[in-house]
Amino acid sequence: MPLNQEAKPKLLWIQGVTCNGNTHSFLNLPYLESLLAKYELLYHPILPSKYTFRRIIELALECDVLIFEGAFDPLMKRHDILLKDVLEHYSQKTRLIISVGSCASFGGVFKESAPQRNSGLIFNESDPYGPSLKQKRKVINLSGCPIHPEWMGYTLSMIAQKREIQLDELHRPIELYSSLAHHGCTRNEYFEWKVDTKNFGEKEGCLFYQHGCRAPMTHSSCNKILWNDVSSKTRSGTPCFGCTEPDFPRSNLFSTQTNMSIPQDVPLGVSKRSYLTLAGIAKTFHIKRLEEKLIDYKRDN
Amino acid sequence: MITKEIIDHIEGEASIHFDMKDEKVDFATVCFPHFRGMEKILQGKNALDALVITPRVCGICGHAHLMATVRAIEDAYKNAGKAIQLSQKAQNIREFTLVMEIIQNHFKWLYLTIIPELAKLTSSTRLQTPLKGAFASQIATKALAIFAGQWPHSSYMIPGGITSDPTHMELIKAKSFIEELVTFFEKETAGTSLETVLAYESCKDFNKLDSDISELEKNLIALGMQKKGFAYDRFINIGEHSFTNPSKLLQTKGHAVHLKYIDTEDSYSPEEKSYAKNALYNNKYYETGPLSRLMAQRIPLIKNIHRRFQDSAYSRIMARVFEIPYLLKHSLKLLNEIQIDEISCAKVQDISKITASGIGIVEAPRGPLIHKIEIENGIIKEYKIITPTQWNIGSGTKEKPMPAQKAMQTLSKEEALFVFRGFDVCSVCTTH
Repeated sequence: MPLNQEAKPKLLWIQGVTCNGNTHSFLNLPYLESLLAKYELLYHPILPSKYTFRRIIELALECDVLIFEGAFDPLMKRHDILLKDVLEHYSQKTRLIISVGSCASFGGVFKESAPQRNSGLIFNESDPYGPSLKQKRKVINLSGCPIHPEWMGYTLSMIAQKREIQLDELHRPIELYSSLAHHGCTRNEYFEWKVDTKNFGEKEGCLFYQHGCRAPMTHSSCNKILWNDVSSKTRSGTPCFGCTEPDFPRSNLFSTQTNMSIPQDVPLGVSKRSYLTLAGIAKTFHIKRLEEKLIDYKRDN
Repeated sequence: MITKEIIDHIEGEASIHFDMKDEKVDFATVCFPHFRGMEKILQGKNALDALVITPRVCGICGHAHLMATVRAIEDAYKNAGKAIQLSQKAQNIREFTLVMEIIQNHFKWLYLTIIPELAKLTSSTRLQTPLKGAFASQIATKALAIFAGQWPHSSYMIPGGITSDPTHMELIKAKSFIEELVTFFEKETAGTSLETVLAYESCKDFNKLDSDISELEKNLIALGMQKKGFAYDRFINIGEHSFTNPSKLLQTKGHAVHLKYIDTEDSYSPEEKSYAKNALYNNKYYETGPLSRLMAQRIPLIKNIHRRFQDSAYSRIMARVFEIPYLLKHSLKLLNEIQIDEISCAKVQDISKITASGIGIVEAPRGPLIHKIEIENGIIKEYKIITPTQWNIGSGTKEKPMPAQKAMQTLSKEEALFVFRGFDVCSVCTTH
């Protein structure tokens, strides 16, 4: 045995009120096997683990990295024990806590199961609140519904390499959440010239002006590192629903609230007034190329 | 004495309370402890928002929930006198992505659930390759995401069709992923060609192979699973699809299904609070899922297996595995039939003009998934979900047990736990 061989960090994955979506998204990580080899997996809901869940809730073990998926409900029981006690026990000695998904980060969809009680680990939407506030320095939020597998891959690799992860004010890694979902969208040209799509199901047009797209206001790298290595919501004609932000899920997700035919919420950091002027000018251009179909499969040859 | 077993490494968690007699299961109740209130969350929201919320019922079969929602909303349009005509292209693509989700589910269940559990009961060391399940499902979800943008939690099916509008380039890419998946299945799972497996007419044909499938089959026989795990030998499929048809099967005889007979009741779980409801058809319990679907299609191999071993754990497990090649072949047909010049999405009236109820039924990986919606001026008044696991694994009384409870009776506890997992349990869906 080589000298000075350090023990692998112990990884534990526990769940609150969840759909298992982050668990399954994580399984899509292309380098899952080599990443898992860097850790000792105490428990994961699906992957083969060292211990059974019964052993985990006996609270006799410790971990180095604690992953929490799902909204936190202070009254929730994992079999005979309160989830609160499970979280408290493992939070004490762990080096880091990763909240995976928007439910664990901000409350998300399952905050609505019990709006008066449920929250994320250190935020209730964007307000500081939750069971891990005292340990908030340990908490990394990976918001998203679900998380992109590469975000998990990045975070766990950085931890394994003992590198420091820089976080934004919502405790999200800056490398993953500094740019917007809009960044890299293939419909950018239509956004630029303010040409909205005429109907869902078309290759042409932007989804921001009428069809509910939140990409210009949403921190995420969905259009930079594609989903399942192949696509993204906006590339497949679906509006971005802003699932990485604390206010997810908003309502009326397939339509844009407008004011004088300009979206109520304008791209992040842009003054509304300037945007109104810019959009007004851009709209006068009437660029024929952008108003026509890109490909006409019915054309006679 | 009643003892409690915590069931982990399924979708979500469950517990089983076993009442043993002479070391055999006399009776078992099943408890799904976590409630999330999805139906209530949906109330008061714009009906289209359900397309974003319901996939979040379940991380492994959210796509089936999306399809059930879109079908329910489209049914409401129809009932409001505004019937929507979907293009064949949109129908094929929806069907294709649903099939991809079923395939990823089955691969995960095979390699991450049933094979590791089987290995615990046998001395086989060959069967320890859990990450094969993740690898295969990665390929299936890539093919899915070409059209749906992402998996899990896509919302690309909308009333009128789909949001994406693929080019030939995307169809070629999707096809190449299917070919990659077929190669994986042939090399890693079956040990022979897809066509060879699909041409099998007897379960003895597996004996010729030396592969994960044949190892699984051999071990199931060695454990006597062909003589264990019997339920009622009554099956039901309710979702309309190109790969199966709605029917009720009593042994092998098929009958029509009428939606008015579908009902739910509270489960019987005296030891622990359970949030699952049992699903019934005409006051009786039915088994759902791959065995049921393939029986309805009268697949020779499945008919042979059923004739020899009825609805045993063996039949149930082998049918779930066999549905992989069956659906792989079908998915290529769906892709090949796509006419690229058809529209992706028909124009539909604004949802705010719709006041009506609708029902959407889909065959999810584990069987029929039913969504009922009541819309008033585009807003959800009421939403109701019945999931496949509610058919297979609710909790009934000793006099009238549900299929999975019945299947566990008279077995040792270890065997019972294995048989239970043979149903492919989704606790997450069940306690929506």
